[in-house]
Amino acid sequence: MSLPYLKEAIKNGDNEKLIRYVRLHFGDGNEDDGRKEIDKSWIEALKLLLDSPDTDRAFIFDTLENNDAETLAHLYFHLHFYFLKRSGEWIHDGNL
Amino acid sequence: MTETSKHEQLRPGIWQTVNERYPGSMIMKDEYVPLAQVKKPLSELKLTFVSSAGVQPIGTMPFDTVHPVGDYTYRTVPSDSKPEDLEIHQLKYLTVGANEDLNVIFPIERLHELAEEGIIGGLTDNFFTFIGYNMDPEQLELKLAEDIADAVVKDHADITLLCPA
Repeated sequence: MSLPYLKEAIKNGDNEKLIRYVRLHFGDGNEDDGRKEIDKSWIEALKLLLDSPDTDRAFIFDTLENNDAETLAHLYFHLHFYFLKRSGEWIHDGNL
Repeated sequence: MTETSKHEQLRPGIWQTVNERYPGSMIMKDEYVPLAQVKKPLSELKLTFVSSAGVQPIGTMPFDTVHPVGDYTYRTVPSDSKPEDLEIHQLKYLTVGANEDLNVIFPIERLHELAEEGIIGGLTDNFFTFIGYNMDPEQLELKLAEDIADAVVKDHADITLLCPA
Protein backbone atom coordinates (compact mmCIF):
# COMPACT_ATOMS: atom_id res chain seq x y z
CA MET A 1 0.00 0.00 0.00
CA SER A 2 1.41 3.35 -0.93
CA LEU A 3 1.68 6.37 1.31
CA PRO A 4 -1.02 8.27 -0.63
CA TYR A 5 -3.37 5.32 -0.08
CA LEU A 6 -2.67 5.38 3.67
CA LYS A 7 -3.10 9.15 3.93
CA GLU A 8 -6.42 8.86 2.14
CA ALA A 9 -7.46 6.21 4.66
CA ILE A 10 -6.52 8.52 7.55
CA LYS A 11 -8.47 11.35 5.96
CA ASN A 12 -11.52 9.11 5.67
CA GLY A 13 -11.11 7.63 9.14
CA ASP A 14 -10.75 4.18 7.58
CA ASN A 15 -8.90 2.44 10.39
CA GLU A 16 -9.46 -0.99 8.85
CA LYS A 17 -7.20 -0.07 5.96
CA LEU A 18 -4.56 1.26 8.35
CA ILE A 19 -4.46 -1.77 10.63
CA ARG A 20 -4.49 -4.05 7.60
CA TYR A 21 -1.40 -2.25 6.38
CA VAL A 22 0.34 -2.74 9.74
CA ARG A 23 -0.52 -6.44 9.66
CA LEU A 24 0.77 -6.79 6.11
CA HIS A 25 3.98 -4.99 7.07
CA PHE A 26 4.56 -7.23 10.08
CA GLY A 27 3.46 -10.34 8.22
CA ASP A 28 5.57 -9.80 5.10
CA GLY A 29 2.46 -9.49 2.97
CA ASN A 30 0.34 -12.02 4.86
CA GLU A 31 -2.34 -10.40 6.99
CA ASP A 32 -2.96 -13.45 9.19
CA ASP A 33 0.74 -13.82 9.83
CA GLY A 34 0.92 -10.15 10.73
CA ARG A 35 -1.87 -10.52 13.26
CA LYS A 36 -0.04 -13.43 14.87
CA GLU A 37 3.21 -11.47 14.89
CA ILE A 38 1.56 -8.60 16.78
CA ASP A 39 0.19 -11.06 19.33
CA LYS A 40 3.58 -12.78 19.58
CA SER A 41 5.46 -9.59 20.41
CA TRP A 42 2.96 -8.74 23.19
CA ILE A 43 3.13 -12.27 24.59
CA GLU A 44 6.91 -12.06 24.65
CA ALA A 45 6.77 -8.74 26.51
CA LEU A 46 4.21 -10.11 28.95
CA LYS A 47 6.30 -13.20 29.70
CA LEU A 48 9.21 -11.02 30.72
CA LEU A 49 7.16 -9.23 33.37
CA LEU A 50 5.29 -12.12 34.97
CA ASP A 51 7.78 -12.44 37.84
CA SER A 52 7.79 -8.69 38.36
CA PRO A 53 11.54 -8.24 37.82
CA ASP A 54 13.17 -4.92 38.63
CA THR A 55 12.94 -2.62 35.66
CA ASP A 56 14.41 0.80 34.99
CA ARG A 57 11.29 2.91 35.36
CA ALA A 58 13.33 6.10 35.50
CA PHE A 59 14.62 5.29 32.02
CA ILE A 60 11.09 4.63 30.82
CA PHE A 61 9.71 7.91 32.17
CA ASP A 62 12.71 9.83 30.95
CA THR A 63 12.31 8.32 27.47
CA LEU A 64 8.60 9.07 27.33
CA GLU A 65 8.93 12.61 28.64
CA ASN A 66 11.98 13.73 26.74
CA ASN A 67 11.37 12.47 23.23
CA ASP A 68 8.93 13.54 20.55
CA ALA A 69 6.00 11.33 19.64
CA GLU A 70 7.51 10.56 16.24
CA THR A 71 10.66 9.12 17.81
CA LEU A 72 8.56 7.10 20.23
CA ALA A 73 6.44 5.78 17.36
CA HIS A 74 9.62 4.70 15.62
CA LEU A 75 10.81 3.08 18.83
CA TYR A 76 7.47 1.25 19.04
CA PHE A 77 8.16 -0.42 15.70
CA HIS A 78 11.69 -1.27 16.82
CA LEU A 79 10.35 -2.81 20.02
CA HIS A 80 7.92 -4.98 18.07
CA PHE A 81 10.76 -6.52 16.10
CA TYR A 82 13.00 -6.68 19.17
CA PHE A 83 10.52 -8.89 21.01
CA LEU A 84 9.89 -11.03 17.93
CA LYS A 85 13.59 -11.65 17.60
CA ARG A 86 13.81 -12.42 21.27
CA SER A 87 10.97 -14.95 20.95
CA GLY A 88 13.24 -17.07 18.76
CA GLU A 89 10.53 -17.51 16.15
CA TRP A 90 11.50 -15.39 13.19
CA ILE A 91 9.25 -15.53 10.11
CA HIS A 92 10.93 -12.90 7.98
CA ASP A 93 13.09 -13.79 5.00
CA GLY A 94 15.71 -11.21 5.84
CA ASN A 95 17.01 -9.67 9.00
CA LEU A 96 16.99 -6.36 10.84
CA MET B 1 19.39 10.13 -26.70
CA THR B 2 16.61 8.03 -28.07
CA GLU B 3 13.26 7.49 -26.48
CA THR B 4 12.90 3.85 -25.60
CA SER B 5 9.67 2.10 -26.42
CA LYS B 6 6.88 2.19 -23.88
CA HIS B 7 7.48 -0.48 -21.31
CA GLU B 8 5.31 -3.49 -21.92
CA GLN B 9 4.02 -5.36 -18.90
CA LEU B 10 5.69 -8.73 -19.25
CA ARG B 11 3.26 -10.51 -16.96
CA PRO B 12 -0.24 -9.33 -17.90
CA GLY B 13 -2.58 -9.25 -14.93
CA ILE B 14 0.10 -9.16 -12.27
CA TRP B 15 -0.59 -5.55 -11.33
CA GLN B 16 -4.26 -6.34 -10.85
CA THR B 17 -3.33 -9.29 -8.66
CA VAL B 18 -0.93 -7.20 -6.60
CA ASN B 19 -3.51 -4.46 -6.21
CA GLU B 20 -6.03 -6.96 -4.90
CA ARG B 21 -3.54 -8.26 -2.35
CA TYR B 22 -2.04 -4.87 -1.50
CA PRO B 23 -4.68 -2.28 -2.36
CA GLY B 24 -3.23 1.01 -3.50
CA SER B 25 0.30 -0.30 -3.69
CA MET B 26 0.90 0.05 -7.40
CA ILE B 27 1.94 3.43 -8.67
CA MET B 28 1.38 3.88 -12.37
CA LYS B 29 3.48 6.28 -14.41
CA ASP B 30 3.02 7.24 -18.01
CA GLU B 31 6.19 9.28 -18.27
CA TYR B 32 9.57 7.67 -18.66
CA VAL B 33 13.01 9.17 -18.64
CA PRO B 34 14.60 8.16 -21.92
CA LEU B 35 17.66 5.98 -21.55
CA ALA B 36 20.94 7.46 -22.71
CA GLN B 37 22.72 5.60 -25.48
CA VAL B 38 26.36 4.74 -24.99
CA LYS B 39 28.76 6.10 -27.54
CA LYS B 40 31.81 3.98 -26.74
CA PRO B 41 32.37 0.24 -26.50
CA LEU B 42 31.71 -1.40 -23.15
CA SER B 43 35.41 -2.06 -22.73
CA GLU B 44 35.99 1.69 -22.49
CA LEU B 45 33.19 2.50 -20.09
CA LYS B 46 33.43 2.97 -16.34
CA LEU B 47 30.62 1.13 -14.60
CA THR B 48 28.89 1.79 -11.32
CA PHE B 49 26.51 -0.51 -9.51
CA VAL B 50 23.23 0.49 -7.85
CA SER B 51 21.48 -2.16 -5.81
CA SER B 52 18.38 -2.40 -3.61
CA ALA B 53 19.89 -5.32 -1.70
CA GLY B 54 20.47 -3.44 1.54
CA VAL B 55 24.18 -4.20 1.45
CA GLN B 56 26.32 -1.78 3.43
CA PRO B 57 29.77 -1.46 4.96
CA ILE B 58 29.95 -2.92 8.45
CA GLY B 59 29.79 -0.09 10.96
CA THR B 60 27.58 2.24 8.94
CA MET B 61 24.09 3.11 10.18
CA PRO B 62 21.90 0.09 9.44
CA PHE B 63 19.11 0.61 6.96
CA ASP B 64 15.83 1.28 8.72
CA THR B 65 14.17 -2.07 8.19
CA VAL B 66 11.39 -1.52 10.74
CA HIS B 67 10.03 1.81 9.54
CA PRO B 68 6.48 1.34 8.24
CA VAL B 69 6.96 3.71 5.32
CA GLY B 70 10.51 2.80 4.36
CA ASP B 71 14.01 4.19 4.33
CA TYR B 72 14.94 6.81 1.74
CA THR B 73 18.66 6.91 2.40
CA TYR B 74 21.41 5.17 0.51
CA ARG B 75 24.80 3.84 1.47
CA THR B 76 28.04 4.30 -0.35
CA VAL B 77 29.96 1.06 -0.75
CA PRO B 78 33.60 1.48 -1.80
CA SER B 79 33.99 -0.66 -4.89
CA ASP B 80 37.20 -2.15 -3.55
CA SER B 81 35.38 -3.53 -0.50
CA LYS B 82 35.79 -7.19 0.31
CA PRO B 83 32.61 -9.19 0.95
CA GLU B 84 33.71 -9.63 4.56
CA ASP B 85 33.66 -5.82 4.94
CA LEU B 86 29.96 -5.74 4.09
CA GLU B 87 26.69 -6.81 5.69
CA ILE B 88 23.03 -6.91 4.75
CA HIS B 89 20.20 -5.12 6.53
CA GLN B 90 16.80 -5.84 5.03
CA LEU B 91 13.72 -7.88 5.93
CA LYS B 92 12.15 -8.87 2.67
CA TYR B 93 14.30 -11.40 0.86
CA LEU B 94 16.08 -14.59 1.83
CA THR B 95 19.71 -13.95 2.69
CA VAL B 96 20.84 -17.53 3.30
CA GLY B 97 22.65 -17.71 -0.03
CA ALA B 98 23.96 -14.16 0.19
CA ASN B 99 25.40 -14.82 3.64
CA GLU B 100 27.42 -17.69 2.14
CA ASP B 101 28.47 -15.75 -0.93
CA LEU B 102 27.55 -12.07 -1.12
CA ASN B 103 28.09 -12.13 -4.88
CA VAL B 104 24.76 -13.86 -5.45
CA ILE B 105 22.99 -10.63 -4.54
CA PHE B 106 25.80 -8.07 -4.72
CA PRO B 107 28.30 -9.29 -7.35
CA ILE B 108 31.20 -7.08 -6.32
CA GLU B 109 33.89 -9.69 -7.05
CA ARG B 110 32.34 -10.61 -10.40
CA LEU B 111 32.36 -6.96 -11.45
CA HIS B 112 36.05 -6.71 -10.56
CA GLU B 113 36.70 -9.76 -12.70
CA LEU B 114 34.89 -8.14 -15.63
CA ALA B 115 37.07 -5.05 -15.20
CA GLU B 116 40.29 -7.07 -14.92
CA GLU B 117 39.36 -9.04 -18.04
CA GLY B 118 38.78 -5.80 -19.91
CA ILE B 119 35.15 -6.58 -20.65
CA ILE B 120 34.24 -3.30 -18.98
CA GLY B 121 36.52 -0.30 -18.86
CA GLY B 122 36.63 -0.08 -15.09
CA LEU B 123 34.64 0.54 -11.96
CA THR B 124 33.75 3.75 -10.16
CA ASP B 125 35.28 4.29 -6.74
CA ASN B 126 31.92 3.61 -5.12
CA PHE B 127 28.77 1.59 -5.53
CA PHE B 128 25.39 2.61 -4.10
CA THR B 129 22.78 0.65 -2.19
CA PHE B 130 19.39 1.10 -0.59
CA ILE B 131 16.47 -1.05 0.53
CA GLY B 132 13.51 -1.65 -1.70
CA TYR B 133 10.76 -1.42 0.92
CA ASN B 134 9.52 2.07 0.17
CA MET B 135 5.88 3.11 0.36
CA ASP B 136 6.26 6.79 -0.52
CA PRO B 137 6.66 7.11 -4.30
CA GLU B 138 7.39 10.83 -4.04
CA GLN B 139 10.35 10.40 -1.68
CA LEU B 140 11.53 7.41 -3.69
CA GLU B 141 11.60 9.37 -6.91
CA LEU B 142 12.47 12.89 -5.78
CA LYS B 143 14.80 12.16 -2.87
CA LEU B 144 16.33 8.70 -3.00
CA ALA B 145 16.59 8.34 -6.76
CA GLU B 146 17.82 11.90 -7.19
CA ASP B 147 20.38 11.52 -4.40
CA ILE B 148 21.75 8.34 -5.93
CA ALA B 149 21.77 9.86 -9.41
CA ASP B 150 23.82 12.81 -8.09
CA ALA B 151 26.27 10.44 -6.42
CA VAL B 152 26.61 8.39 -9.59
CA VAL B 153 27.37 11.49 -11.63
CA LYS B 154 29.93 12.69 -9.08
CA ASP B 155 31.67 9.34 -9.32
CA HIS B 156 32.05 9.82 -13.11
CA ALA B 157 30.17 6.71 -14.10
CA ASP B 158 29.62 6.11 -17.81
CA ILE B 159 27.11 3.33 -17.28
CA THR B 160 25.12 1.99 -14.34
CA LEU B 161 24.13 -1.55 -13.54
CA LEU B 162 20.79 -1.41 -11.71
CA CYS B 163 19.94 -4.50 -9.74
CA PRO B 164 16.77 -5.10 -7.69
CA ALA B 165 17.05 -7.53 -4.80
